[in-house]
Amino acid sequence: MSEAITLLAMFEDIEPASEGVEKLQQLGLSDDDMNVISGIPVKHTILGRPAAITYVSRIGLFGALMGMTLGIFFIYGIPHLYPLLVGGQPIFPVPMGFIITFEMTMLGLMGFSFIGMFVDSGFPSYTPKEYTPEISDGKVALLFTCPASEQEKFIDALKDAGAETVAPVEARHL
Amino acid sequence: MTTIAKPFARPHPQEHEDPREHLMHDPLPRGQMNAMVMESMHATNWTFWAVTGGLVLIVLFALGYEWYVLIMQGQGTAGVTRPDYWGVFLVNTVFWIGISHAGTFISAILRVMKVESRRPFTRAAELMTTFGLVQAGLSIFMHLGRVWLVYWMFPIPNERRIWPDFHSPLMWVLMAITTYLLCSTMYLFLPLIPDVAMARDRTEGGWLKTFYRVLAIGFRGTEGEWKNLTTAMNIFAFAIIPVMFSVHTIVSWDFAMASRPGWSSTVFGPYFVIGALHSGMAAVAIVLFLLRSTMKHYKYFIRPEHFNTIGMLMLLVSMAWAYFYFNDYLVPWYGGDVWDKLVQEYTEEGPLWYLWYTMLICNIAVPWLLLWNKKWRQSPWLLASAGLLINVGMWLERYIIIPVGVTINRMPFTWRQYYPRIEIPMTVGTFALFLLLYMLASRLIPLIPVWEVQEGQEAHMIRKIGKAEISTLSDME
Repeated sequence: MSEAITLLAMFEDIEPASEGVEKLQQLGLSDDDMNVISGIPVKHTILGRPAAITYVSRIGLFGALMGMTLGIFFIYGIPHLYPLLVGGQPIFPVPMGFIITFEMTMLGLMGFSFIGMFVDSGFPSYTPKEYTPEISDGKVALLFTCPASEQEKFIDALKDAGAETVAPVEARHL
Repeated sequence: MTTIAKPFARPHPQEHEDPREHLMHDPLPRGQMNAMVMESMHATNWTFWAVTGGLVLIVLFALGYEWYVLIMQGQGTAGVTRPDYWGVFLVNTVFWIGISHAGTFISAILRVMKVESRRPFTRAAELMTTFGLVQAGLSIFMHLGRVWLVYWMFPIPNERRIWPDFHSPLMWVLMAITTYLLCSTMYLFLPLIPDVAMARDRTEGGWLKTFYRVLAIGFRGTEGEWKNLTTAMNIFAFAIIPVMFSVHTIVSWDFAMASRPGWSSTVFGPYFVIGALHSGMAAVAIVLFLLRSTMKHYKYFIRPEHFNTIGMLMLLVSMAWAYFYFNDYLVPWYGGDVWDKLVQEYTEEGPLWYLWYTMLICNIAVPWLLLWNKKWRQSPWLLASAGLLINVGMWLERYIIIPVGVTINRMPFTWRQYYPRIEIPMTVGTFALFLLLYMLASRLIPLIPVWEVQEGQEAHMIRKIGKAEISTLSDME
């Protein structure tokens, strides 16, 4: 690709934005070179885009296993360090082991899902980004990179699809 | 035999219901909804600050000065003594944990079941979970006495070389409440991110801009960000439900694991969970009424249909509570154990008999009489009044279980009635702190999840079928 330029196309609604995605695909732009930014989550099939990959579930599952291990350590490991005989109960009680293990597993699952959301999205991030506040007011933006020499072709195609504006965009502090 | 449709003398109210009266069919441009929510956060008057100031004074007195007195002079300042070592502080702990269940119930269960009318008030309910758990934590610290030694309960090595005993239900509660507090706070934060990003976009400079910038963590709304956020929210919505059930079940085991008359019950777990939902749902009705009455533009977002949804849930939960209460009552009554009988007689005919009857009236009679009628359920002040009475009833239920229940034990020479003393102002303090936190939050974060409302409005449409206009819902999630 020759010198590239980043453009931001603004759409009133999801419908023309999905048309815009199709136009860009027809012009040969790969899915990796475009991104839809919206004020509400939009299903990838509505936009005609491939599904975004997320690792949040896998990170959460890893957290659940970690939590379970910690829970098992609490209930079965600690009595090794400090054995306590209580009310004729066994040192390593199975029924109450379920309680502690369950709580720690769920804490691990949710805690790591939360962290996973941060890690997978690159949050927190306070560096400049391509964005316009109109997006949180309901507009749908199509952010894409194309060869600078061909930008007129892309702009015309997106205007045909219903874009209100298509203009070069610079990263700015949010 | 054929069935003939005969007209009613009066048309049924639902026949005249216009689907456009519902929030999901009455959309406004997103920018306008954002502006309304932002304006509601910033429109404050002197009454707001006067109430805030009053609450600050109450909190300082009740949770500052009185707690200082309690710590310096010891638990004898409170009414707890043999045999009533468990008093109002633990009543408040159980009560506030119950209130905290509303947030998860409203937000997680209704989200999982895709109940659309949940959308505008999930955050108001989620905040109740976090702030309710803060009060529960404070109440249990009051009960601890030497609160600075709380770290002895944590599974960390300490200078006394004592590890916590996980055989104890009190340790289970510590683990459960900690898990619930952390997870419900994270669950509150996740759907808040797009709304604080909206607030960031609409705020010009100053400390508020910095506050929103930090909280929005750089969110823009790209496909990947939404995917990660909604995936995490789905995991939380499913995972926090069993945690919610476990928390109040474990709280009930604090009592049920003791072989005391009146407490040692196998039905205590589900009975406590239902009780928590009963008080929690009722508290949501009160909070929504207050928000709708005091916050600008909230009449657009919180409508009679939402009170109707909550009213139906309150009625359903009150029936479930009555069922479990009867279960818990009948078996000891029939069983003939002398100590169980004595507890029941003391509760019903003892010096505090009026508490028992008030509890039954508030928890059963009030919802059953008021909430069967849709028109009444849609009346915000009536639903809030029912909610207030239910919460009085539920607080009394915990009072009857704890200090009244422990009065009667297997050593009659120790029987002594409990009178709360310093507990009363400190209880008022927890209510004041809850309100104060809520009022401050209402000025700092958008209490209406605008993006969720818009998402719902995008998915709804009105379709004409035959002569009627029918609400339809597209699966856009």
